[in-house]
Amino acid sequence: MAEAKTNGTHPNLVRRRRSMHNRIEILDVVLVVILTVLALLIVIPFINVLTISFVTQQEYLKSSILLFPTEVTLENYKMMFADGRIWTGYRTTALLLAIGVPLNLFLTTSMAYGLSRPDYPFKRFFIFFVVLTMLFNGGIVPMYLLMKQLHLPNPLWSIVLVYGINAFYLIIMMNYFQNLPLALSESAKLDGAGEWTILFRIILPLSTPIMATMTLFYAVDRWNEWFNAMIFIRKSDLVVLQLALRSIVIDSQISQQLNASNVQAQQFTEGMKMASVIVSMLPIMCVFPLLQRHFVKGMLVGAIKA
Amino acid sequence: MDNNALIRRIIRSKETYLLLLPGVAWFVIFAYIPMYGLTLAFKTYKASLGIFGSPWVGFENFKYVFRDPAFLESVWRTLWINLGRIVFQFPVPIILALLLNELRFQRFKKTVQTIFTFPHFLSWIVVSSVLINFLDMQGMVNGIIRMFGGDPVNFLGNTSIFVPLLYITDNWKNAGWTMIIYLAAISSIDTEQYESAQLDGATRLQTMWYITLPSIMNTIVVMLILSVGNLMTAGFDQIFNISNAATAKAGEILDIYIYRITFQSAADFSFSTAVSLFRSIINFALLLLADRICKMLGSEGLFPPIRRKSRR
Repeated sequence: MAEAKTNGTHPNLVRRRRSMHNRIEILDVVLVVILTVLALLIVIPFINVLTISFVTQQEYLKSSILLFPTEVTLENYKMMFADGRIWTGYRTTALLLAIGVPLNLFLTTSMAYGLSRPDYPFKRFFIFFVVLTMLFNGGIVPMYLLMKQLHLPNPLWSIVLVYGINAFYLIIMMNYFQNLPLALSESAKLDGAGEWTILFRIILPLSTPIMATMTLFYAVDRWNEWFNAMIFIRKSDLVVLQLALRSIVIDSQISQQLNASNVQAQQFTEGMKMASVIVSMLPIMCVFPLLQRHFVKGMLVGAIKA
Repeated sequence: MDNNALIRRIIRSKETYLLLLPGVAWFVIFAYIPMYGLTLAFKTYKASLGIFGSPWVGFENFKYVFRDPAFLESVWRTLWINLGRIVFQFPVPIILALLLNELRFQRFKKTVQTIFTFPHFLSWIVVSSVLINFLDMQGMVNGIIRMFGGDPVNFLGNTSIFVPLLYITDNWKNAGWTMIIYLAAISSIDTEQYESAQLDGATRLQTMWYITLPSIMNTIVVMLILSVGNLMTAGFDQIFNISNAATAKAGEILDIYIYRITFQSAADFSFSTAVSLFRSIINFALLLLADRICKMLGSEGLFPPIRRKSRR
């Protein structure tokens, strides 16, 4: 019986499937049309933003439907750099990432590994300890007051420390470590290695996929962070990128809604605003193919329990 | 177990506890101590005395909170908007996943997947900037409307279409990412079922309805219950960035109300903490309820990692 099978499928099925693949049905066409329209709905606004960032004021005023610049200009980008807020934002956010992400990784990895070790006293207590924070938190006021009481030397530290461990990521990592063969750490312990040594010398080198995924996740979270910065930082030279962007694009839009008639009288800031948006998006766009590859793995490793 | 054996086990595991130390320290300082700060809800905050020293006032703050019409409105508004999300946002990723799964052109499928998931990784500040530009009075959508002879529509400053705008823009940003979760669930369906369905002569639409959909019911239920668990909290980032002076009232959900009374008016921290406590308790109750319903329906619940002995 075993010899009669081709790759485990019955020969009749193989023949049938091959013939189905060659026919293009109406369903396929409909699907392609629907999905293309939806994809365009996402892509076109971005193209619009990109185009406006490279366009002169005259061209902008001529038509609202801008998908391709007839003459490319770098004026808007120059204006954006002259304004300086984006550059400050980049600097602050880069600093935030450089200090924050390693902290995130250190805290999450050590705790995830610790929680993944087989039965020890109070293990379930600690897991509950973590899960409880996913269910209940104190809200903004206690956190704000706490930060004021800590008298941190630089307000940037408030933002770095407020987001230390993402409980969801912690659990994903914990599951990953739990799935590694126990023999790895057991044999190292027989050789006299301590838990920290095992973690850094043996486990981590074997965990590059999950580490890469977590680095990306935390980096993206940090890059997009703005609310904590808004509450904790008052000095404008420490503004994070997202808030710099917000002050350029959204805050001015809010006042524009009330002064609709003054649109013409203002400087041509639309181009500069769009330039700011593009520049804020750039790193995410570059990193995105990586994100694509890793997040599917990361999600499947621990998150989907259905 | 006798105490000596327990103490011996603790000492034996001391290195493991050391591993947990940094994380636990962080949780204690930045998650649990702020929880203590919630006692401010029952006190009158005096800055000079700090949280610990401020005097107790029992439920005074709550009396004022429940007398504030803006508070009550924000609670109803939050529930109303988020229930609407379950109707208008929840099914979308499922439908997208089913459609995308049926696609047989692999490269097109990957491209579409990439495009759909991209906006999820941007912040709402970036997304709002992009969409505000697109939907503005001078934006491209109105440009197209004008081209066809119509009058420009004020998409962004109109309170009556504000909530639908929320649903559409949230789908625009996040439906693609959630779709991936469903696609992953679909990919784990046993292909034998499809084969036998094909042998029985089922059309592709029939397989979609009778096989694919029921097979991911578990995932759908878990996601649905998660949405219910977030009923009080979803939407701050989005609404904060996409609303403006004209639509502010229409979008004031509970979290935005809390933000406004804490940072935009004369800060009364005890009042604000009382509202926060209320929010946290309701949220907690909803999540527990959600978890319980999940378990009743046979799923593992929302917080599966509390493992018993063996794993697969």
